[in-house]
Amino acid sequence: MAREQPIKVTVNGRTYEKIVPVRLSLADFLRDHLHLTGTHIGCEHGVCGACTISMNGRSARSCLTLAVQADGAEIVTIEGLRAEDGRRHPMQQFFLENFALQCGYCTPGMLMTAIELLRDNPKPTEHEVREAISGNLCRCSGYQAIVDAILAAAGKELA
Amino acid sequence: MKPAWFDYYAPRGLDEALHILGDAGQDGRVLAGGQSLMPMLNLRILSPAVIVDINRIAALNRLHAGPDGLTVGALVRHADLLRSPDVREGWPLLWEATTQVAHMAIRNRGTVCGSVAHNDPSAEHPSVLVTLGGTVVVAGLSGRRELPAEAFFTGMLSNALEPGEMVVEVRYPRQAAGTGTAFVEFARRLGDFAIAGAAAMLTMRDGVCKQAQLTIVGMGEGPFRVRAAEDMLTEQTLGRKESQHVFAAVAATAAAAVDPADDVHASSAYRRHLAGVMVAQALETALVRAGGQHLG
Amino acid sequence: MSDARFVNERMVGSSVIPDEAIPLVEGDGRFLNDIKLPGMYHVAFLRSQHAHARLNCVDASEARRLPGVIKVLTGEELLGKVDPFRSMPNRFSGGESVQHWLAVDKVRFCGEAVCAVVAEDRATAEDAVDLIKVDYEPLPAVTDPRQGERDDSPLVHDSCPNNYLIKREYQRGEVDEAFRNAHLVVKRKFRIGRKQALCLEGRGCVAGYRENTFALTVWMSHQLPYVVRHYLAKHLRIAETDVRVIIPHTGGGFGQKASIYPEEFVCAWLALTLRRPVKWVEDRIENMVASTHARDQYIELELAADCEGRILAISSDVWVDVGAYSTYLWSAGMEPLQTAGLMPGPYRIEAMRYRTRGVATNKTPVGPYRAVGRPSASASLELLIDEMARRLKLDSVEVRMRNLIPVEAMPYRNANNLVHDNVNYVPCLKLAVLKSDYERQRSEQRNSRPNGKLRGIGVACFAELTGLGTSTAVGPGTLLQPGRDAATLRLETTGVLTIAAALPSQGQRIMTAMRQVASDELGIKLEDITSITNDTATAPYGFGTFASRTAVFGSGAVIKAARELRQRILAMGAYILQVPIEELTIANSVVQTVDRSKSISLREMAEKSYFSAKDIPQEINQGFEVTSFYDPKFGSFAGGAHIVVVDVDPKTGQVKIIRYVAAEDVGTIINPAVVEGQIIGGIAQGIGEALLEELVYDEAGQPRTVTLADYLIPSALEIPRIELHHANAPSAALGGFKGCGEGSIIGALGAVVCAVADALSRRGGDIHEFPASPERVLKGLGVLPSDGQAGRGSE
Repeated sequence: MAREQPIKVTVNGRTYEKIVPVRLSLADFLRDHLHLTGTHIGCEHGVCGACTISMNGRSARSCLTLAVQADGAEIVTIEGLRAEDGRRHPMQQFFLENFALQCGYCTPGMLMTAIELLRDNPKPTEHEVREAISGNLCRCSGYQAIVDAILAAAGKELA
Repeated sequence: MKPAWFDYYAPRGLDEALHILGDAGQDGRVLAGGQSLMPMLNLRILSPAVIVDINRIAALNRLHAGPDGLTVGALVRHADLLRSPDVREGWPLLWEATTQVAHMAIRNRGTVCGSVAHNDPSAEHPSVLVTLGGTVVVAGLSGRRELPAEAFFTGMLSNALEPGEMVVEVRYPRQAAGTGTAFVEFARRLGDFAIAGAAAMLTMRDGVCKQAQLTIVGMGEGPFRVRAAEDMLTEQTLGRKESQHVFAAVAATAAAAVDPADDVHASSAYRRHLAGVMVAQALETALVRAGGQHLG
Repeated sequence: MSDARFVNERMVGSSVIPDEAIPLVEGDGRFLNDIKLPGMYHVAFLRSQHAHARLNCVDASEARRLPGVIKVLTGEELLGKVDPFRSMPNRFSGGESVQHWLAVDKVRFCGEAVCAVVAEDRATAEDAVDLIKVDYEPLPAVTDPRQGERDDSPLVHDSCPNNYLIKREYQRGEVDEAFRNAHLVVKRKFRIGRKQALCLEGRGCVAGYRENTFALTVWMSHQLPYVVRHYLAKHLRIAETDVRVIIPHTGGGFGQKASIYPEEFVCAWLALTLRRPVKWVEDRIENMVASTHARDQYIELELAADCEGRILAISSDVWVDVGAYSTYLWSAGMEPLQTAGLMPGPYRIEAMRYRTRGVATNKTPVGPYRAVGRPSASASLELLIDEMARRLKLDSVEVRMRNLIPVEAMPYRNANNLVHDNVNYVPCLKLAVLKSDYERQRSEQRNSRPNGKLRGIGVACFAELTGLGTSTAVGPGTLLQPGRDAATLRLETTGVLTIAAALPSQGQRIMTAMRQVASDELGIKLEDITSITNDTATAPYGFGTFASRTAVFGSGAVIKAARELRQRILAMGAYILQVPIEELTIANSVVQTVDRSKSISLREMAEKSYFSAKDIPQEINQGFEVTSFYDPKFGSFAGGAHIVVVDVDPKTGQVKIIRYVAAEDVGTIINPAVVEGQIIGGIAQGIGEALLEELVYDEAGQPRTVTLADYLIPSALEIPRIELHHANAPSAALGGFKGCGEGSIIGALGAVVCAVADALSRRGGDIHEFPASPERVLKGLGVLPSDGQAGRGSE
């Protein structure tokens, strides 16, 4: 049995055909093979949430997904959030304006979770925001600015 | 932490999967959601020689609610249950327990059958399956077999699968009229492994409990069904006044019945104590709901 | 939170949105693991599975044969080629520990590095690690400092009798007399478990050989670039000028990335030896055992009080489980000396005595972590003060008011010989009382709770010595005295300004802060100022980011350099515009007369300076680059008061924080939103320390909390909304700034533990061991029996 397999995966709108080791995680594939280093690795056991991306429209831990499992999938990472004209995603703008990041390591996963939350629940309460991001650990901020950014984003129309 | 090498297969049909698993025997593992398996591979707690990824077997992605019950195929994700109005309406215990599973990103990928097969002592699904009197459908090269839930869970992280077999679906019967259920758990943080939890089902008629099912989560050996407690409840009048007293006695019985070990998350004494607390809470809530109040 | 951004108004005090955050929010950060160099090798470490063992034989033959493996390095091979880490000698000695980069002869903690495998990729390196066979001869492990100091204990280091890596006694004032004459003596024991910084990004290093003109370029996830450079050169026995250290974006530091560790140094050695770039990234499982731990203290504390509840004297006995080696560079003295020495906090205490020990055990070494010994010092004293208050039937706030150093008494020299000045302890407590509606909280507490929960209120006041100049050591008695720092300001050819300093940020927005300060000092538009803080090739010598110092040092050095630079700019302007220098000002990046009749942009001036130098006399055109060093001499006290309201569930033991009010004095604030983020972040870590975080070891020295499912840091649901208020007093340092990175964790630990103890006291219960896990809470209430149960903690 080959230790490598070909995969065809669409990431941020572009389709890639690559040959990958079967044991390679999706996180490492994105970071090392596609050079999309915006997705971060914090624990490799699914707890910290830093590696969270969107897979076929739902958030997923890229550290717990094999790259070979992404064959045929559509992935969106933080690099894919910006618009065609290069403008930031509104959620990124709210994070920036609300000082919702310090070291920035949790931010990619936090953004993906926040965007999914507002898609499912456009007007969440503060408690619902905290619950939704409770699977994304942040060590710097104490979460308050992140919660405020998401509530601010919920108060406005998102593109 | 990177996994050791393995051979990887992603068959498109169940027969093919069973053949590969059959050949691999003890050295094979099924990969469905991967939310329990991948951490173990990454930490090199497990190094199976063969991984069979079942995500391409469309037939396993079946969630069906019918008059006979709910069928949950091996690829149904926790999140699929949460998004199903049928599940929320018809199997509220299952729905409520699923809200406690980890976090959204985990629920999006993790599967119900995967959780059942893994049988982590803190997991929600094994206890729910036992409490609802569910069935586990197992397939292997030698064919299919169906086990009642209690027979499937054989100890901590253990199940009744023979080498080469896999869980293809689980089934939950419809609950009777007049039934109220509740799933409660206690964890240090939301989504953490439960230190203790309880799944309770009370079927009431005219203020009398006709049937009680009670299972405790987190006691170390898998779902712990407390038959002694169920017996105390059956044919018991449970008005608002008596129930406090009865539930306290039931909780004490349940706490005395479990025998958890000490571990880094809790001492034996604390788990035992919490078991009682969870049982009391679950029973109180189940009774209220048996009166016709819906989840919301 | 102010979001004012002004041009031509003061930048200091504005919540300027930091440009440095933009790449991070867009996914364009460059963290250590994002760095890839052609031909790069990857390192994985074989780590000891034993807490204490003789290392008899390492057989790496099978590992070396694995395809893709380049090299397997053992400690034997390094002997004589590099210098091991000898703990920094300390004025108050216990003993010295010698730490080899890779273990030789013995392993002394689970997780200690034994071999380094170099391979073409990390997964292959880990495969090779699994093939290495090591013959260990287990030895008895020391796992409790109170057992470890006994004469019959096994020794972690033969050179350290009684396993003392540090031991000190101190007394000032008439302590015995105070206790003899006291109206009341109160004693308590306090225990805080082991924790760690838990940066979301672990450590890491990319070492490059001849990547540029430097023989060795090292990218490291670290807080102290120049210190790393100095010690790399020293230990690798190469010239300091051959080494360049670059700090990439860093995912958290908190002091854990301020020590010198073996792994990165091994990488550097490998790069020089193999002449290839070498990368090591610490994964989470490694991080749980290989990066420094913190706290793990036993404190016995007593106070002598008069009938009014005024503290006459305190006396403490402190044991810190400092782990297997004296951490290089700060030494094992950090926690023991700071805990005992800084015990008085913000209170007027004339007499104190302590006996403190750092006892070596067979666990991960303890190193500096946010506020070091102050949180436990504060928490233990605050609990004792509350007990005193209960005994004297005084309110918690009232008793603290009677003991805090009031502004009128300042400058005030405390029993630990520190001088408190320019700090608002009492105003902060008053503000916290006002904003929390404290009286109403107490009256609500007195009514019975319909939900069955026990309500507790905790009040804690803290002092935090920040921005330490050369008169005060960061690590008491250590040889390293990082009392000054530097910045270089340079006007570029287009009139924009660069600030270079060796003060890397891990999210504190140091670059933005310095730009704001420079903008005000020089009248240059903020967008015309950039900053670089992470590269020894561009920055003047500086100690780095730790001990809440960058606001003071970065700003102070910028202010000094800016004043000199401003003079040069004005002198040039006066010459070019042919006006007296006194008539000139700089605003909006333009040099102009006060009446604006004559002006020249900085851009034009810079162009003239660089490209038309022949037209300007040299004594006028000195060059627009100034480096200044700044030493504030003394530290600047910050302080505050936190008031926390909790509900304790007497059935489950769960603690929920209902309300959190913090009132702090952090001096002149540069960027209010950034400061707020720092304070709330510190509070979150304090809440984690009080309620959740604990690294557990068993009696054999095996770590039991090895994943993030075992070691629990707060999520968004465990941190309440923090109500933050300020009663700021400017410091005596340049600009009036103070540090704010560590104060809030001190206040948080104190206030939360006091709130829990207060809740338990309603039922006659108490609690002495923290974190206040649900189980400890139930033991404190008598719902669970308090002894004989194994479970968390290595009691």
